[in-house]
Amino acid sequence: MSATVRDRAAPRTGRPGPLWALPGVAFFALFAALPMVLVAYLSFTHWGGLGDPRFAGFDNWTRLAGDRLMHRAVGLSLLLTVASWAIQTPISLLLGVWSAGRQRGRAVVSALFFLPLLLSSAAVAIVWRALLDPNFGPLAWAGPFLGLGTVDLLGGSTSAFWVIVFVASWQFIPLHMLLYQGGARQIPETLYQAARIDGAGRLGMFWHITLPQLRNTMTTSSILMVVGSLTYFDTVLIMTGGGPGTDTTIVPYLMYRAGFRSWELGYASAIAFTLVVAATLIALVMVRLTGFGSMRSTREGI
Amino acid sequence: MSVVQERAPVNTPGGTRSPRPGTGRIRRRGVGERPNVLGGLGALIWLLVVAVPLYALLIATVQRGENYVPEGPLAPPSDPTLGNYATAVEKGLLGFVWNTALVTVAVVVLVVVLAATTSFAIVRSRRRLTDAAFRMFLLGLAIPSQAVIIPVYLIIVRLGLYDSLTAIVLPTAAFALPVCVLILVGSMRDISEELYEAMALDGAGSVRAFLWLVVPMSRSGLSTVAVYSALQAWNGFLFPLILTQSADKRLITMGLFEFQGEYRVDVPGLLTAVVLSTVPLFVIYLVARRSLADGLMGVGGK
Amino acid sequence: MTSPRTAAALAALTLLTVTACGGGGSSSGDEMHVWMYQDTLVVVQEGAVERFNADHADDGFQAVIDQVPGDNYVERLRTAMGSGEQPDVFFNWGSGSIAPYAEQGLLEPLDDLLAEDPEFADAFLPSVLESGKVDGVQYGIPLRGTQPVVLFYNRAVFEEVGVEPPETWEDVLSLVDDFTEAEVTPFALAGADPWTEQMWLQYLVDRIGGPDVFARIAEGDSEGWRDPAVLEAADMVVDLVDRGAFGDSYASVSYTEGGASTLLSEGRAAMHLMGSWEYSTHLDQAREFAENDLGYVEFPPIPGGTGDPANVVGNPTNYFSVSADGPHVEHALDFLRYTAQDEYVADMVANGEVPTTANAEEVLADSPNPEFATFQYELVRDAPHFQLSWDQALTPEVATPMVTEIEALFNGQRTPQEFVDALAAL
Repeated sequence: MSATVRDRAAPRTGRPGPLWALPGVAFFALFAALPMVLVAYLSFTHWGGLGDPRFAGFDNWTRLAGDRLMHRAVGLSLLLTVASWAIQTPISLLLGVWSAGRQRGRAVVSALFFLPLLLSSAAVAIVWRALLDPNFGPLAWAGPFLGLGTVDLLGGSTSAFWVIVFVASWQFIPLHMLLYQGGARQIPETLYQAARIDGAGRLGMFWHITLPQLRNTMTTSSILMVVGSLTYFDTVLIMTGGGPGTDTTIVPYLMYRAGFRSWELGYASAIAFTLVVAATLIALVMVRLTGFGSMRSTREGI
Repeated sequence: MSVVQERAPVNTPGGTRSPRPGTGRIRRRGVGERPNVLGGLGALIWLLVVAVPLYALLIATVQRGENYVPEGPLAPPSDPTLGNYATAVEKGLLGFVWNTALVTVAVVVLVVVLAATTSFAIVRSRRRLTDAAFRMFLLGLAIPSQAVIIPVYLIIVRLGLYDSLTAIVLPTAAFALPVCVLILVGSMRDISEELYEAMALDGAGSVRAFLWLVVPMSRSGLSTVAVYSALQAWNGFLFPLILTQSADKRLITMGLFEFQGEYRVDVPGLLTAVVLSTVPLFVIYLVARRSLADGLMGVGGK
Repeated sequence: MTSPRTAAALAALTLLTVTACGGGGSSSGDEMHVWMYQDTLVVVQEGAVERFNADHADDGFQAVIDQVPGDNYVERLRTAMGSGEQPDVFFNWGSGSIAPYAEQGLLEPLDDLLAEDPEFADAFLPSVLESGKVDGVQYGIPLRGTQPVVLFYNRAVFEEVGVEPPETWEDVLSLVDDFTEAEVTPFALAGADPWTEQMWLQYLVDRIGGPDVFARIAEGDSEGWRDPAVLEAADMVVDLVDRGAFGDSYASVSYTEGGASTLLSEGRAAMHLMGSWEYSTHLDQAREFAENDLGYVEFPPIPGGTGDPANVVGNPTNYFSVSADGPHVEHALDFLRYTAQDEYVADMVANGEVPTTANAEEVLADSPNPEFATFQYELVRDAPHFQLSWDQALTPEVATPMVTEIEALFNGQRTPQEFVDALAAL
């Protein structure tokens, strides 16, 4: 119980006062929490970025509720999240476990695997656009060679969406691989030794030891994926500009378009606030699932 | 992955890791076990998926602008040149790198200091206030920075900071805080109570406990935080885009736009800038890779 | 126990990093900032700034050009205009692109300047000055050459297939069949940059229904989209797409990255509808092609259309506007006069631009390509109406969704009727 911990802890010397947290909290409050409050306020105004916001009542919200583009964007964002999770999880899990082996070759290869994460989303998007160009990229000869004719992945309604999913996976799988690698290295070797004595095969050990032991890692990684998929914005902006048409217009991109292309910052704030609420809900679920929030530690308290 | 390497005694270099159960142990393949063919094959496929685009990226940097589109992104340049690198430097890329480095250093310093003190208070203080602070950071964990770009713009303008590097530093650092606090809380809560008691017996107050116990013991967590916030700052896109405009405040991601004429883009020039801009991060990564993995483990483990 | 020393050290550190970054944040008082869209033509404005600064050698007042990357020019201008650190003088597209600033009183009216100095006022073609107005008030002074949209073609490809450039709409349709048969894409189209698709629709609507159709829309009457000319033009677009006029992979072709232009210069596409700057793009990227094989014609008339076939669309020119609140308004107004000087016009011509000043014709012979310069000049001079690009003529909150709808029409995601309904609902 944390209450007993607190009771025991209070009189001990060397405990920092809450003032230690003040600079960090104040800083976060001013540049991250205050904006979240302001975005709620702005969603009830009309504002073009010039002059002062004018109060608009529920105009933006009624418009948002009836906006077909928004409905579509929410659907696309959800699909993007689910698809990213379903693709990234198994790949990073397998690669992470594989790279957890201490062999030198694996270490070198995993160092290479991490490289995409060092590139900015902008860079990744530019490189992939060049590779997928239907007229001047490798697909220009591969398509006819395979009897497919012209292959225009970024120009197709569904294919452009899946390209975003793929490119985001390409960029972020290394991060999750690293998480699983760390998790796998924490599994006590004794578990495997015992299993080996029982005659378990590699698959059996993976299934009965590795997977259950990585449960917590999986929760963390999944949540980071869900949170991360809210931020594929850079990729969409550069690769497709939300297109073709509006087929890859996910919620953050719709917000950007409404805000900084159409200059309806009040309406964009309504979209943005929806994002904030969704993200907070995700955070709540995350705290529940992972126990991040509990002050339980391996050493202190129980 | 050769047999020789597998049999060679494997050891973690250094021995700087924090004492944590299980991590000191080295997993080694049991004698006589078959090599993991499937795993190796999967890793090989992924290696191709990662390496081919990176190859395309590198090859483009020695390609001439006018040959890039006709020759395609995979063919070795018929007439290689280092001109793109010269052009990149000529166009002031080093200035952008310098600006980005300034911003990155400022963000890293701010985040490391604020996250460390805040986490110390959260882990050790155990008051209702610090618990509340921790909850606040946890809820901020999932908020994408795009969602609040509009009010951040408003705040920065009102503070008179528009078009300064500070304008980028402040919100970038604020949005890196939640993850960093979580990472540090993870690694600080593992410091054993006995060590604190020993410090207290020596008459150490919270400052000395922080500087001589907490900081050294959280080294890997602190490196993770530094690398994470450096990545955020180095690859930031939306804050520089919206919060600055003049050429002497341009960061590397925005500098990519420097390579762009009114109606066309010099793709090899752009990609060269990308490659050059990644070099500093790559060096940091090589240095901090191990502690990064360990720090992330603190998040995912348990 | 919290040590005050730690807190002080923290505060000092924060302050240090903040000030280190903020150094040189605000612009000095004696400099006037001139914002330019960053491209190869800025040398002309740089010349003007040099002359301006030379004239101010006595009082030490200086103008500097801030080159703003093109892709985000509009966003950056708007954020800067809203920030209280407005540029003193800035590049724009006139009309709808500056209307929001004019409404907020952020722009200096220029009518007095023109009235006081008739010689300056008469230096520009009146039709071009017109697009620098918002609600009848002059806010923009022309700063660039004119940029009409014309139909470029690859002469070598036409010779190979044995056909002539189109003069009528029937020619266009038969050329589509001829080139498709010869496995050449009839028209290069950069579908990833929908403003290039807008050029097609804009010409079609103008040829079918005349300039009044869009004039009504530009005045804010979105029911204007229901004009039969818009529906007919949209039908023709779908017809062209169905005939394969743009090939089958245009949706992801980019103009800004050089894709569409390369298709034309390599002969993989036969024609390309584009602004006149396309000429200098080719001159820069594929000089041999530009000098030998690049042909150009006017957009052909449409049978039964009531629009004058001599009309053109595109960007009449670009404009300089002056921020009303700036500390250097007087200097800024003075700077505008430099755009009518002989040296400025000569610089434009030497750069391949076709000036919109009244005396342009006399200097065109000095152009690097007098033939193309004269073609453009006559095209614009003889045009009864020069229609500004729709996305620049409309305010951004209408223009942004409009451009998306145009893209959806070209991609077959909207039927012509749905397209019209969506636009009328904006």
